[in-house]
Amino acid sequence: MSEACKTAFGEGPKAQIIAGGTDILPALKYRLKTPGILIDISSVPDLDTITYSEQEGLTVGALVTLRRLAAHKDVREKYPLLTQAALSVGSAQLQAMGTIGGNLCQDACCIYYNLPSVSRQGLDPCFKLGGGRCHAVQGSKICHATYSGDMAPALLALRACVTIADGTGENTIPLNELYSGRGEAPHVLEPGRILKGIQVPPPFHNVGIYVKMRIRKSIDYPLLGVAVNLLPNGKDGALKDILVGLTGVEKSPLLITPPDEIKDTYELEKQTEIMAQAARSKAHPIANTSGYSPRYRREMVSVYVRQGVLQALEIAAGRG
Amino acid sequence: MKTIMLTVNGEAYELAVAPNDMLLDVIRDKLDLTGAKKGCDTGACGACTVIMDGEPILSCMTLAVRCHGREITTIEGLAPRGELHPLQQAAIDHNAVQCGFCTPGWLLSAKALLDGNPHPSQEEVRTAIAGNLCRCTGYKKIEDAISAVAGRNQGVVKGKNRD
Ligand SMILES: Cc1cc2nc3c(=O)[nH]c(=O)nc-3n(C[C@H](O)[C@H](O)[C@H](O)COP(=O)(O)OP(=O)(O)OC[C@H]3O[C@@H](n4cnc5c(N)ncnc54)[C@H](O)[C@@H]3O)c2cc1C
Ligand code: SF4
Ligand code: FES
Ligand code: FES
Repeated sequence: MSEACKTAFGEGPKAQIIAGGTDILPALKYRLKTPGILIDISSVPDLDTITYSEQEGLTVGALVTLRRLAAHKDVREKYPLLTQAALSVGSAQLQAMGTIGGNLCQDACCIYYNLPSVSRQGLDPCFKLGGGRCHAVQGSKICHATYSGDMAPALLALRACVTIADGTGENTIPLNELYSGRGEAPHVLEPGRILKGIQVPPPFHNVGIYVKMRIRKSIDYPLLGVAVNLLPNGKDGALKDILVGLTGVEKSPLLITPPDEIKDTYELEKQTEIMAQAARSKAHPIANTSGYSPRYRREMVSVYVRQGVLQALEIAAGRG
Repeated sequence: MKTIMLTVNGEAYELAVAPNDMLLDVIRDKLDLTGAKKGCDTGACGACTVIMDGEPILSCMTLAVRCHGREITTIEGLAPRGELHPLQQAAIDHNAVQCGFCTPGWLLSAKALLDGNPHPSQEEVRTAIAGNLCRCTGYKKIEDAISAVAGRNQGVVKGKNRD
């Protein structure tokens, strides 16, 4: 690991890390990125393990593929939200190749950017390509490329942390601190810093669900993804706790925590509505994806939060 | 150029590959195994699917230099002596092939599924081939072909309709 970090640090922006390669290779083929060097981290030891204990929760190495994660017994039983999110990514083949680390560090998407070089002819380079304008939001001074990973919302709703190695040591930060909020470079890792693993706290009695909106049922990135992780109060069907993760509607994945006003009510319907509106107000989809207007996607945030809450409660009721 | 060792359909090869050669181009152009197809070349169609160490992967998205020591099955490996694999026979019996461009890809996705899970549900069959786009058949006949083989594996033929 320290060798990989040091090489990456030494080469600076000339080098890019490659894990499964399913996110970076299309960008190389389209000549969106032209690194001189690819640093293959697949031989870094111990990055492909999954461990679970009741006290510590779940630890997943950055190189674990989505297919392995989804199928792991403890993940299926204790964190079905993660299995659902992983199985919603791309296709079976992409899940077999794509890693969890690569998924969290994937680039943000835009229909004016993710194009083969021949289709970009005639379009001035936009901010994300080092140019001076944005084609998606005319007159904008910044890039609005949309973060579209499926694992981040699920892991945010599960209060996950990530461990980053830099060649001399490592530090662990809450997952939302991995994201920059910048469309050009959605994560904050500088050259030489490598995502080592993900920690998810024990599940207690929480129930989670992932709902994804897209045109086709497979291959497509989320046009909206909502992860709901809640704890029923066990008495009158209301909620004791809830976290919502969003993807596909901003430059970063978003974690929606319950606003203070939720404490004033013990009614499920009101609690759900407060969360649905809180999520909707944070989502700012723009017209840089194919299919569905930004307005529709924004409206659907609250619809999907409500649907997620109901489905999660149904699962909780089934558990008894 | 870098030398890699690759086992393809049971045969060992020593190959010199450039760092930017894709596995798909290597198996098609260097090994003359043209069953795997290049559709989109960016991971979105499944026509280039092969099985690597038991898993269905996209050879258009795999750098050949990273495949040293790996074991690969292409569609040619399904009928090594010209004797059709049950999935291939079922594809013919169910008229699941029209232009044929997607066929090698979904057959290998189906093989990887059945190797790990001989009795998949209809939903599992659909999920396994959901990354293999077909412009011709409408998928129903493909599903029927795979389900017929899966059904034979468990002694029942399942031919449930799509919803
Ligand atoms: C057709 C298609 C459809 C797709 N659909 C979806 C979808 O529905 N949902 C979805 O979430 N994704 C989707 N993807 C994106 C991609 O397949 C996944 O995000 C995948 O999990 C990426 O993992 P990887 O290991 O292949 O990443 P890589 O391509 O290897 O890496 C992705 C990025 O992360 C960096 N990186 C990788 N690992 C690390 C690390 N450990 N530390 C620091 N940086 C790292 C790389 O430098 C690179 O910039 C799709 C891709 C394609 C081609
Ligand atoms: S949002 Fe604007 S600047 Fe960013 S990639 Fe799209 S067109 Fe380029
Ligand atoms: S050619 Fe590989 S997925 Fe389309
Ligand atoms: S048979 Fe023509 S694409 Fe499937």
